[in-house]
Amino acid sequence: MSQIELRNICKKFENKRILHHVNLLVQEGEMISLLGPSGCGKTTTLKIIAGLMEPDAGDILFNDTSILNIPVEKRGAIIVFQDYLLFPHLTVEENIEFGLKMAKVKKSKRREKVREMIDLVQLEGHEKKYPKELSGGQKQRVAIARALAIEPKVLLLDEPFSNLDTRLREIMREFICDIQRKFKITMILVTHDKEEALMTSSKIAVMLDGEIKQFGTPKEIYERPVSSLVADFFGEKNYVDGEIKEGIFYSIMGSFQTGLHKNGRVRAMIRPEEIEITPKGNIAGIIKNKTYAGEKIYYIIDCNGKRLKCITNGKTFYNIGEKINVYINFDNIVFFER
Amino acid sequence: MGKNMVFKIIFNIFLLLLIFPLFIILLWSFTKIWPWPDLFPKAFGLRGFQYLLNPSNNSLRILGLSIWLSTVVMFIAILISIPAAKALGLYHFKGKGFIKTLILAPIVVPTVAVTMGIHVSFISVGLANTFWGVVIVHLIPCIPYSVRILTDVFEIMGNSMELQARILGANKMQTFFYVTLPMLAPGLITAGSMVFIVSFSQYFLTFLIGGGKIVTFSMVMFPFIQSGDRMMASVYSMVFIWTTLLILISVERIVKSYYKGENYFYL
Repeated sequence: MSQIELRNICKKFENKRILHHVNLLVQEGEMISLLGPSGCGKTTTLKIIAGLMEPDAGDILFNDTSILNIPVEKRGAIIVFQDYLLFPHLTVEENIEFGLKMAKVKKSKRREKVREMIDLVQLEGHEKKYPKELSGGQKQRVAIARALAIEPKVLLLDEPFSNLDTRLREIMREFICDIQRKFKITMILVTHDKEEALMTSSKIAVMLDGEIKQFGTPKEIYERPVSSLVADFFGEKNYVDGEIKEGIFYSIMGSFQTGLHKNGRVRAMIRPEEIEITPKGNIAGIIKNKTYAGEKIYYIIDCNGKRLKCITNGKTFYNIGEKINVYINFDNIVFFER
Repeated sequence: MGKNMVFKIIFNIFLLLLIFPLFIILLWSFTKIWPWPDLFPKAFGLRGFQYLLNPSNNSLRILGLSIWLSTVVMFIAILISIPAAKALGLYHFKGKGFIKTLILAPIVVPTVAVTMGIHVSFISVGLANTFWGVVIVHLIPCIPYSVRILTDVFEIMGNSMELQARILGANKMQTFFYVTLPMLAPGLITAGSMVFIVSFSQYFLTFLIGGGKIVTFSMVMFPFIQSGDRMMASVYSMVFIWTTLLILISVERIVKSYYKGENYFYL
């Protein structure tokens, strides 16, 4: 296992900027996510780490040593692709054995390792099957076993769960997390699914338009996004423009005491779940719309002409047109400078 | 009557239409006298097969040489076609469409006309009237088929499996032998068979470049067909058909025994 560092990686395709000064530090044995919409450069980043592509500028270091000149087959950075790419002409066993065979490991040792891997991914009884005879989940297990068999320095997972149905996705997510914890594998998971990233990783790198916008723990990223772009990626938000003077936020909704000591024009980010409808609220409003979604109810509330989205638990009901009060704790609100 | 039944009947009619002429050839190869307008031959004989098997006529030696020549052509054509097809199927470069068309040129442009010119050059470099001269000239009509077939296979196959192999630690050679070649196997069978048949049935090119020194099976067969000796022509046709059939079956057997995985489809 290794510590992986990307320094100022840049990549262009036909003058189109794909990656722009990407910096990333993954500690040994850590599992991080590269989170971003499709086309943001996540997969390109993985391919550059694995050596399938060369960066135009920048450096990649494994344990503080540059590996840019090491060819793909010697890097030990293994990608497990979205569609698993199992060799169709080889059985499960032979697929898992592939990397070891290429490295010219002795046959007896290979057998032993394959046995171990089959046990690990719980595929006993499927050794002689061909990939086409396997289900999606089984194929993924084989792909992971094949990658782990050669003890990679880093395991790169490219959208590993997106081809699986919801139930199987949860099982495989748990399975991969278990393996990661057990073997302390340095892992980079590429995903566009925010929940997947939040649930699996110790750190998340949010990638937009070829740049890493923020890199931090899931809690940091979710609670303290550095920009509205990052915040939007984690769900719909309310934005209220205003000005802070001596710790007081002045806006169309009214003026509120904040915990901040700066001055200037700001944009407050209020999450729908942070708006509480309560008689003790500090802002008056009218319910404009209501959408019932089982355990949650979505409201749109008009507060002095500013429309706010609000999510409540489905316990209390308010009708459209009802006058209510909402409570927002401005001590916890994130302000972006404008 | 179900749709399936209709389909079966149509299928069998077509099968019969294809196979029926073969029965006539089979019948003719044993026919001594078959005067018009009789529906069936009057007398049967074994003159044709006696002639074929008579060592002084060299028929079997010529057959052997023909098979050997076409097999060599097949291997060389495949060897040349794999890299060409890979480039055309997987890489993007300027003038790709033009080159794709150019590769089909030997099928479009009359080969005979081109070979006249080639013959002159072959004489000057000493390739005329030699085995290898004939092999080279046979490659001209064969390569368009093998390159086109393998290009399509590469296009369907993509290069993702090769990349995966590289990531797993295979060097370029290992990737080719352990991944590319086995995945290409069904395409190799098709392309190889096609090349063999095209080469095996060449008459004029062999005649011109071989200059009578290199005699292939189709060359000894042709005069019988031309002269109207139906019995002899039928005997040689039978042998011709069975040879190609057996070669095709063995090519398929050999390739499949090396690369198991049964009928996997390209991913």
